[in-house]
Amino acid sequence: MIKLENIERRYASDEVETTALVDVNLEVAEGEFLAIMGPSGCGKSTLLNTLGTIDRPTSGHYWFGDQDLAAMGEQALAKFRAAQLGFVFQSFNLIDELTIEENIALGLAYRKDVSGNKAERVAAAMDTVSIAHRARHFPHQLSGGQQQRAAIARAIVGQPRLILADEPTGNLDTANGEQVMDILTALNAGGATIVMVTHSPSHADMAKRRIDMLDGRIVASAMRAI
Amino acid sequence: MNRFALLSLYRSLTRHKLYAALNIGGLAIGIAVFIVLGLYVRFETSYDRWIPDHENLYMVQSDFNLPGSPFDGVSYQTPWALLDMLKETDPELVGTNIMPAYGSVIRDGAGTAENIAPADPGFLDFFRLELAAGSRDALKSPRNAVLTEAAAERYFPSGDPIGQTITLSHDEGPTNYTVGAVVRDLPANTQFDFSILIPIVQSTSPTIIAEERNLGALTALTYVRLETAADVQGFLEKMPAFIRQHGDGIGENPDEMLSYVVEPIADFHLGTADSLRQTVATLGIVGLVTLLIALTNYINLATARAGLRAREVAMRKVLGADRSKVMRQFMGEAILTVAIASLGGLILAELGLPFVNATGGLSLDIPYALVVPALVVLAIVAGALAGFYPAMVVSRFQPAAVLASSRSPGGGRGGARVREALVVFQFGLSIAFMIGTAVMMAQTSYIRNADLGFEREGLLVLSTFNDPGLDDAAKGTLMARFREIPQVTSVTAATMAVGGSGSNTGENMELPGVPGPGPSVRKIDIGDKFFETYGIRTVAGRVFSSEFGRDDATETEDEGNFNIVINRNAVPVMGFDSPEDAIGKVVGGDRPRTIVGVVDNVRYTSARAEIGPTFYVYKSELPDFAIATLRFTGDPRPVKEAVRAAWQESAGALPLGMETTDERLETFYEDDERTARLFAIGAGLAVLIGMVGLWGLASFNTARRVKEIGIRKSLGASATDIVKLLVGQFMRPVLIANLIAWPLAYFAMRTWLAGFDDRITLSPLFFIGASLVAIAIAVLTVLGQSLRASRTAPAWALRHD
Repeated sequence: MIKLENIERRYASDEVETTALVDVNLEVAEGEFLAIMGPSGCGKSTLLNTLGTIDRPTSGHYWFGDQDLAAMGEQALAKFRAAQLGFVFQSFNLIDELTIEENIALGLAYRKDVSGNKAERVAAAMDTVSIAHRARHFPHQLSGGQQQRAAIARAIVGQPRLILADEPTGNLDTANGEQVMDILTALNAGGATIVMVTHSPSHADMAKRRIDMLDGRIVASAMRAI
Repeated sequence: MNRFALLSLYRSLTRHKLYAALNIGGLAIGIAVFIVLGLYVRFETSYDRWIPDHENLYMVQSDFNLPGSPFDGVSYQTPWALLDMLKETDPELVGTNIMPAYGSVIRDGAGTAENIAPADPGFLDFFRLELAAGSRDALKSPRNAVLTEAAAERYFPSGDPIGQTITLSHDEGPTNYTVGAVVRDLPANTQFDFSILIPIVQSTSPTIIAEERNLGALTALTYVRLETAADVQGFLEKMPAFIRQHGDGIGENPDEMLSYVVEPIADFHLGTADSLRQTVATLGIVGLVTLLIALTNYINLATARAGLRAREVAMRKVLGADRSKVMRQFMGEAILTVAIASLGGLILAELGLPFVNATGGLSLDIPYALVVPALVVLAIVAGALAGFYPAMVVSRFQPAAVLASSRSPGGGRGGARVREALVVFQFGLSIAFMIGTAVMMAQTSYIRNADLGFEREGLLVLSTFNDPGLDDAAKGTLMARFREIPQVTSVTAATMAVGGSGSNTGENMELPGVPGPGPSVRKIDIGDKFFETYGIRTVAGRVFSSEFGRDDATETEDEGNFNIVINRNAVPVMGFDSPEDAIGKVVGGDRPRTIVGVVDNVRYTSARAEIGPTFYVYKSELPDFAIATLRFTGDPRPVKEAVRAAWQESAGALPLGMETTDERLETFYEDDERTARLFAIGAGLAVLIGMVGLWGLASFNTARRVKEIGIRKSLGASATDIVKLLVGQFMRPVLIANLIAWPLAYFAMRTWLAGFDDRITLSPLFFIGASLVAIAIAVLTVLGQSLRASRTAPAWALRHD
């Protein structure tokens, strides 16, 4: 489904040029659950953001199906994100001024192609992550685990082909972390393709495949023994 | 405020230059508008308050009870003999009088128009006017003149004017006077416009004395000194009996038709014209509201920004500052900011004043001794008020929550509501201002081009044609000479001319079958070709013609039996169903007059004045006090030259006054246009401040929402979606603002327009138009930032705190 070819990402400031990704080549198949690991600053998040098209590679090709996303314009990418991608962030990134339900509905707000009853889909997504009882609350009224479940609901409400999770358990305690991982595993079992950045080896082990990164390069790739 | 607080304010202002510029600049403009309009209001309300003891000096005014007549209501003039008559009744009464100023000074055979006012000998003492030279008794000698310093400087630039001879042309034609005194120039804020005073000439003819003692002969301004409220009461109580005793000249039951009222002299200036009072009140409100908008702006920006300083506040609290210390710091900052803005406002006011003076025809200057202390008070009061809310919001921040959170508090939903409410308030006033400006501009331009009932182009009025120095023979020669000017197509003379000159008389017109004296109708005496010269439309019947002997009232005026023409407004007043119905009817009781024609209403003076019922009387010989009017074609300049040449030949040294219709009407346009211009400036600046505020608010809101924008973009929001979101956020308050603006502007403008007899309708287009402009301004103001925000890379935005 996804093929990255010779992806490079350099950041230039006035004085220094930082290379975040060096010659990255990666394929992700439909239905896969891929974990990305590595020390801080190795380029994990940049790789994930590149996959999510919210960061653009300096050079290289990003094939999603038969489309080269690296060559697409902003407007088209926004449309692509709305239709194909779901994001889960370490810091949840819910909008403070919106209720949980409204935050989740935001996952459909930019989909021109979704017709029918959006409220039903929002309700279904809330059921999937067991957050329906908090629908009318604001994010700051919820615990971290609840907020992250809401964020996952927002990511899946549009039934994306690819879910990108950036350290989804990083801000959570163990119990809540396990709960979030269970949801992600279940989603994967239901057919969703997931790419997840994590610091936790045990959570990485729950993925089907794992790659390790160092200084912007993929240094190892391993399949989980089934 | 300690050193660190000052330091952090200084750094905060210098680091966030744009914020500082918006905040202080907006406030400074608001303060400048407030200062300038405040000075204007102060000037207009200060008239004659410089006169010592002005609280005890009153003007006696004639209040006529003549319903339906153009002379109904208060006239500030009285007979000049009223003072003597009052003193006959009450020898203790202290009073004085003065007549309206006009005339000319003759030097080397040429006349220069000068404001020469005949006055009572006690005039100088009554008002305690200061003399620069000469004797306070100067006016007691009948051939003495008193000059103002400015007039003395004009006519006797070198040497002592006292004892010198000056030739003045007033009622009696050129006469020599001796300068008996020089009075210090009066300040600009006074009702008196004389530059030369001469004694009032007492007649010895019994007929003239009787005329002068007729209470309906309005010739002078009468002033009395009344020390206490009881004195005022006592004076007024004596008046009905006084009027019964002396009022036989105005009709039966004179005390029912006339009463005397007194007005403190300092109230006179604003009391004479509703329009002026309205103008002063309006511009005062504009100044106050503009300041309010600017302060609102400050509160809004300061509160919005307060969130960005949450960490600073949290750290101060962690380090031991309590809530009151934080509040003090923020209120201190506000006071300091307002103080800086006040200084800026003062500078702007000083820079802008010449421009405002030119636009408004004013001569204001800044009295620093008054303005500086006022600004200090303003800085403290307004600063404390404006600083209170932001200080309260900021000081409430919980340090632990602020420091732990990755994002800055913005005062929560409540804070956003308050800011939105402030934007609503600001924009509501701005939109109301815009509607007001549009209506005022439309009305003033409408008046300039309105149908006056005659052809306004190509008329030349000779306002000095009724100069008493010009005898009938000279007038006849002049009329003949004017007819010979090639460009002149028609010449006439009448007691009324465009711009309102000549005599102002009315008559009660007894109606057949209706008991009583009948309605009071304005009378205009006209000479040959009056209607033709003015181009006044005939509505029914015919206008005067020399073919009909009964048209000419020269010989028969006193007994009646002549024809008259009435105007359209006189038709219903005289009880006719239609103009046609009036034709052939005889009115006027024992002085029967036959209506032969009805002409259109003619607006000779201000659009504010009602066009009263009027009848025209034709006199084949020149009517007394008539003013000549010429109709010409083409360029007025050669016509004026030819008129001037003819004038010099026949009238010699008498001053010549001649103006076209537009020049004559200019004074009636001026006041309203001046108001409209000052209003537009104030309103424009208020809108500008509102824009600055909205811009600042939008920029802070956008900054606060960077992360949200990142989230939305990661969810697939396009740049267009983001722009719509950010712009839309500001549309709501701007749209709600119309709810305040429309009723406010509607009532204000309806009241203002009600002051005009001839006015535009208050079309909904003004309201819709102003709202569209406001929306466009709001969109343009926030669009730039929204576009920039919409282009942020989402990955960067998500890392942004």
